[in-house]
Amino acid sequence: MMAFYFGQLVEIFPFFLKGLWMTSKIGFISLVSCTLIGLILGVFRISNNIILKRLVGVYVAFVRGTPFVVQIFIIFFIFPEWGIQLEAFPAALLAMAIMGSAFICEIVAGGIAAIPTGQWEAAASSGLTRFQQLRLVIIPQAMKIILPPLVGQYVLLIKDTSVVSVIGVMDLTRVGWVTVVRIPEGLMVFSLVGALYFMISYPLILLSNYLEQRMDA
Amino acid sequence: MIEFKNVNKWFGKLHVLNDINLEIPKGEVLVICGPSGSGKSTLIRCINRLEPIQKGEIIVNNVPVHDKATNLTKLRADIGFVFQQFHLYPHMTVLENIMLAPVNVRKVAKSKAEKIAMEKLEQVGLTEKSGVHPAQLSGGQQQRVAIARGLAMSPKIMLFDEPTSALDPEMIGEVLDVMVNLVSEGMTMCVVTHEMGFAKKVANRVLFMDEGAIVETGTPDEFFDNPKTDRAANFISMILTH
Amino acid sequence: MLTDFNFRVIWEYMPLFLTGVRATAFIAAVSITLALITGILACACRISGIKALKYPATIYIEIIRSTPLLVQIYFLYFGLPTLGLRIPELQTGIIALMLNSGAYIAEIIRAGINSVDEGHIEAGISSGLNYVQRMRFIILPQALGVTIPPLLGQNIVLVKDSALLSLISVVELTRSGQTMTSERFMPAEAFLTVAFFYMCIYFCLKAFADWSQRKLIYREVY
Repeated sequence: MMAFYFGQLVEIFPFFLKGLWMTSKIGFISLVSCTLIGLILGVFRISNNIILKRLVGVYVAFVRGTPFVVQIFIIFFIFPEWGIQLEAFPAALLAMAIMGSAFICEIVAGGIAAIPTGQWEAAASSGLTRFQQLRLVIIPQAMKIILPPLVGQYVLLIKDTSVVSVIGVMDLTRVGWVTVVRIPEGLMVFSLVGALYFMISYPLILLSNYLEQRMDA
Repeated sequence: MIEFKNVNKWFGKLHVLNDINLEIPKGEVLVICGPSGSGKSTLIRCINRLEPIQKGEIIVNNVPVHDKATNLTKLRADIGFVFQQFHLYPHMTVLENIMLAPVNVRKVAKSKAEKIAMEKLEQVGLTEKSGVHPAQLSGGQQQRVAIARGLAMSPKIMLFDEPTSALDPEMIGEVLDVMVNLVSEGMTMCVVTHEMGFAKKVANRVLFMDEGAIVETGTPDEFFDNPKTDRAANFISMILTH
Repeated sequence: MLTDFNFRVIWEYMPLFLTGVRATAFIAAVSITLALITGILACACRISGIKALKYPATIYIEIIRSTPLLVQIYFLYFGLPTLGLRIPELQTGIIALMLNSGAYIAEIIRAGINSVDEGHIEAGISSGLNYVQRMRFIILPQALGVTIPPLLGQNIVLVKDSALLSLISVVELTRSGQTMTSERFMPAEAFLTVAFFYMCIYFCLKAFADWSQRKLIYREVY
């Protein structure tokens, strides 16, 4: 019996690799977009402009207070009501970008807040503008603090890509879900899915652990 | 050059600067002293608008400091500030620390800025440390680099907020020596400090503050040998006994 | 957009939403309790010197952390029947949440224990306390202060994670939204209401977490 299923497994393996590729694509694009947007939002979060601070705060609270799957449903189902037709893949990217940037925003803001006020004052006293203070003095120092939790967040984001399968994106999880209907060997199918996720996230986890250790040293 | 007109500042309910009226002419070396919490650090931090004020005016070189229209960058470029905790940028070398402002504020070319930086390092006696990171320097060396960083912008005024208070005793001298040399070059200086030897040696005037107000002023000799008020006399006796 | 927002329909479906909230609360409460037990056990195994306990525990934790929760849910939902175990979806979901959060809780506890100052442990050893006594009097009390905030955080994460159970047809809050959408085709009303309820739960839990954080400041003080 196992041989029978093994044969089918070999047959469907390319399908799984396609799913892995889709997951990797979504993951990579999301990591980049979330980091860029999150960095900007993080700077807004610590700015002196109260309106900006509050706005970003509300946005972050909404993302952190609601399940990602609900956010995906909101984006995928509600945009058409406003006349914007979104296909599954762009909707998935949008949902990931909105969700991931909120978390990275908090990490960035936390890192910047950890830099002593004296650094801001020393930079300001020599005549640097607030933007120059941030760019030349504060953010370079904050980067060291931000990097370990940032990589940790990357791991979470890659795992979160599995949720976009609910709107039909043919990622690794959905490949498993579709396969298990045809080949009702849930353990085998999702062990394979899990193993492939493990393959792409474990290196990042090791990197994250390594960075955390270096920080504590 | 620096004028305080009826300056008042509150931190919440606390009245930290109580009707300050003060004039510091060009070239004067002013020492401000007083007990903890007297407002002396706050006073000096208002001069380059590190602190806001609620009432009154501070005018530096005919420019109102706390005016919304004032170009803060330009104002601060002409004022050098040395902090008690030095606050050197840890991620940059000594040379880069000193070059940062000239390059980014005065838009000086990197090669020229490097030259200026080395000159200032020579002035504070630390040319051999130009490529080193602040973490590898002693407290006294860091503070001297901080002074060089302030001087690199060729400021018209140098402000010192308790520059030696965070240093081990054996390093205080090297920093004070640098500051004494600055005086001989005619720099306008405002120094918050407890170092009375320094005050006696180079200060033109001493200001004594208590509870947010200027209680007494005078030349160093007048102040230390014949304080007019009881509070000043009390303070002097307390710092001289150790 | 908001002018078309049909509040009347939301009100009509309010019993469904409230059922969902109750179900979600129940699932979260049960799961976090089981996860705590799982986490404590897994952590104990992991920090024990006994290889037969340490390796399985470590493998369990690493697998959970490297794979998505949804995959773990599907693994159990589609996999358990093939082993002959016909478990209802609610219980399957709770088991998945228990195993998932259990691993993270194990790591949180482990970090808390490791955070206790080396010096305090040495002092305990020097005064002749054995391992259990050191654990009881020195390590665990201090580790508690460090551990409780992240544990409360994991609780919040678990409430959000429970939303995925809607995908295996478990009755809970997100499913209420799906039901209303499929019956009335009003996804905006449905899911924004669902989001609103989750936000309420989130703010309650967060307020509690912040409050208990203030109560635990004794650690900073000494």
